Amino acid sequence: MEVDLTLIPTVEANDGEKKVAKMHSIISQFTEEQMSRYECFRRSTLHKSNMKKLLESITGIKNMNNDDPRLSVVSGIAKMFVGELVETARLVMVKRNETGHIRPCHIRESYRRLKLQGKVPQRTAPRFFR
Amino acid sequence: MSNTPAAAPTSSSKSKAAGSSQAPEKRKPLFQKELQHMMYGFGDEQNPLPETVALVEDIVVEYVTDLTHKAQEIGTKRGRLLVDDFLYLIRKDLPKLNRCRELLAMQEELKQARKAFDVDEEKITSLD
Repeated sequence: MEVDLTLIPTVEANDGEKKVAKMHSIISQFTEEQMSRYECFRRSTLHKSNMKKLLESITGIKNMNNDDPRLSVVSGIAKMFVGELVETARLVMVKRNETGHIRPCHIRESYRRLKLQGKVPQRTAPRFFR
Repeated sequence: MSNTPAAAPTSSSKSKAAGSSQAPEKRKPLFQKELQHMMYGFGDEQNPLPETVALVEDIVVEYVTDLTHKAQEIGTKRGRLLVDDFLYLIRKDLPKLNRCRELLAMQEELKQARKAFDVDEEKITSLD
């Protein structure tokens, strides 16, 4: 990695201002590729309208308000879940010594691992053989 | 990722009530473009493979569906589906919980800011 994290002093978790300053010092050392990736990370969202359609069809609630807090919360959770999937898939690729694009087999393996870690809500099914 | 219709009778009846299609496997892609940017931001290549994006979308839709069903089960005991039902479900996952608190706080701030803006506008128009 081009940014050497050992050179950046550690900061207490409660200090808001220092955290912002630390983020600035890290971001200022980004390469162009890292910067564009970080930009995509910050800006990307799942469209509210699509999430609204999905939630309305699942819950049967009609005419959900556009600034419903439930919408923002679910979108936030979903985005972080995508992050977990992609990051775990990258770990899987490193373990298998593969590079390049992430393929569906990596995502499936990463999904299986997340299930074992309990990060995926399970539909409670009757388990007959324990 | 097998379907268990016997174990979740309430959820299947709810989806029938909402009028969902008969072939739930054939969903129109909802989040393709946004997911491509998101996956790049989280570590994939600049242009993720389309089959990977399709798989991630299926997984995310299933995740949101299961999460929402569980939240609704909790919510029906109280009456309505509230934000707190979702927060309860991710209580063990600290990064997600903190992020949701941030998002809710930001929304509140925006609401207050908009209210203050509307009040100022009223003052200005009433002065005329």
